[in-house]
Amino acid sequence: MAEFLMYLTNGLVMGVINAISAIGVSLVVGIMRVINFAHGELYIFAGYFSYHLSLTLGLSPILAMPLSVIFVFLMGVLMERFLIRPTYGDEMYSLIITFVLSIILQNSALLIFGPYPNKPPTLISGATSFFGLFHYGNQRLFSFIISIAILLSVFYLIKRTWFGKSVRAISQDREMASLMGIDHLKVNMLSFGLGAALAGAAGVIIAPIFPVTPTGSSAISLTAFVVVVLGGMGSLKGCVVGGLILGILENLGAAYISTMYRHIFGFIILILVLVFRPWGLFGQRT
Amino acid sequence: MDKVEFMRFWIFIPFIFLTLFLPFFLSQYWLHVMIISLFYVMMASSWNLIAGYTGQISFAHAAFAGVGAYVSGMLAVNMGIPAWLGILIGTSIAGLLGLGLGYLCIRMGGIYLSLTTLGFSEILRIIITNEDRWTRGTMGLQIPGFFIEYSKMSYYFLFLIVSAFFLWVIYRLIRSEMGLSFRAVLNDELAASSSGIDTIRVRILAFTISSAMAGMAGGLYGHYLMLITPDIPSLGQMFLVLAMAVIGGMGSFIGPILGAFVLEILSEYIRIYGEYHVLLFGLVALGMARFAPGGIMGLLEKRWRLREMS
Repeated sequence: MAEFLMYLTNGLVMGVINAISAIGVSLVVGIMRVINFAHGELYIFAGYFSYHLSLTLGLSPILAMPLSVIFVFLMGVLMERFLIRPTYGDEMYSLIITFVLSIILQNSALLIFGPYPNKPPTLISGATSFFGLFHYGNQRLFSFIISIAILLSVFYLIKRTWFGKSVRAISQDREMASLMGIDHLKVNMLSFGLGAALAGAAGVIIAPIFPVTPTGSSAISLTAFVVVVLGGMGSLKGCVVGGLILGILENLGAAYISTMYRHIFGFIILILVLVFRPWGLFGQRT
Repeated sequence: MDKVEFMRFWIFIPFIFLTLFLPFFLSQYWLHVMIISLFYVMMASSWNLIAGYTGQISFAHAAFAGVGAYVSGMLAVNMGIPAWLGILIGTSIAGLLGLGLGYLCIRMGGIYLSLTTLGFSEILRIIITNEDRWTRGTMGLQIPGFFIEYSKMSYYFLFLIVSAFFLWVIYRLIRSEMGLSFRAVLNDELAASSSGIDTIRVRILAFTISSAMAGMAGGLYGHYLMLITPDIPSLGQMFLVLAMAVIGGMGSFIGPILGAFVLEILSEYIRIYGEYHVLLFGLVALGMARFAPGGIMGLLEKRWRLREMS
């Protein structure tokens, strides 16, 4: 029982991190109809940035984490401005460009950071006892709390601010939104940056728990894509629910069925969703 | 026949002579390079059939080649099934998987196909790596060759015949009524579907044919190498095929053929720099996709048309 509860808790922690990463994808799909195949690479880069900022440059992890996210945000903004913007309206070229970019970033990461996993320092040590049943690492609890805080701020940003209103307007009707005076170029650029920053946030949160490696990036992108399809493309609520479902299933599956096949559960879910409910849990049926 | 087509035709004739007689003057090493190039001609041209002509990006093309290679290889190793039969079975299985994925995803739109095929190729790699009882994992599975007696010359002509067959099928498809509907779908989906073209069926069909071709190419490749590894269905391999089509010119018949030869021969020269060549090809492909979406063929055609006008 205690074991089961621990795997469940692991699943919840992974679930909220999945949700952050998936919202980064979903936001961009909703607004720009572009899938960023370099999502996993941005996640990995953020992990390495936070490692090098805190260990090589000696910054405090509290400073290194947001700084890494800002770097990745800038990478996203530059990607949008110089590579994605010229492909507007041509879905095929945006897919090709982000895929090629993912290969370039993956190989650069191998060259720059090397093939070995790097683990940034943890912020908190020790473990907390849960009702005397099992001990749970404080770093993981801390990650869980930060993740919830990030999710809440993203929801606030989208539901309550000017930026969020423009984002929602553009996802609903691009032409109408630009007629209403919304500068969709600026919103696109910021949203793509925000998407990248969310990948980065997930990366810096996970890195002290599971160190990142350049070759792990495609699995990270896939997890995010499965969550987005499961939750329904463009739905933020779907990302949270989908992220939690996938996090819990993967952790229970890895514990009780097979560790090697952790990522297969995601793919099975993807196929099941496409067969039975292709528009996802919260997506709009078209 | 307008001038551009006329020039294309004349480029073709010496090319045929070259492919028939050149191998007799090549060293064993360059013969090997030519065989590998022909494998990539099959891969890039069949990928172009779906990507260039119907606008759907599949990331499972290398994975389907892996299906062909491993199905045929494992049948040969465990059941002694002859290579030609194994390759046909592998081709059918790749085609069926393509049909299934295409049926599930294409009705939902291009993004879904790209996501799911990416997932499929990752999963296939994980299964092949982990089920090492059957596949020998990353060690690679040793399988018998296609011919009883090993000769690079025979493999060269086998690959040449199959490539020519693929190219003939692709050429016939894009020149046929179906090809017309392919292009109609690419140019304007709404207009095509309102003029009675079943856009989804056309795309699923193209995807199935293209996947089956990848399966056959992979099967042949495996029996030529006689050692198959999870590198065949890897995303790195997928990237190479994509880069060949993009750099040569997507949506053109010659483009991927040109891209396959150029990149394969080039990678032999820059092999000494190790892994940098992937990065280099990535940057070139990115530049092409961004600034010259028609690839080398697009640039050449633009020049020809300009010269014709002046």
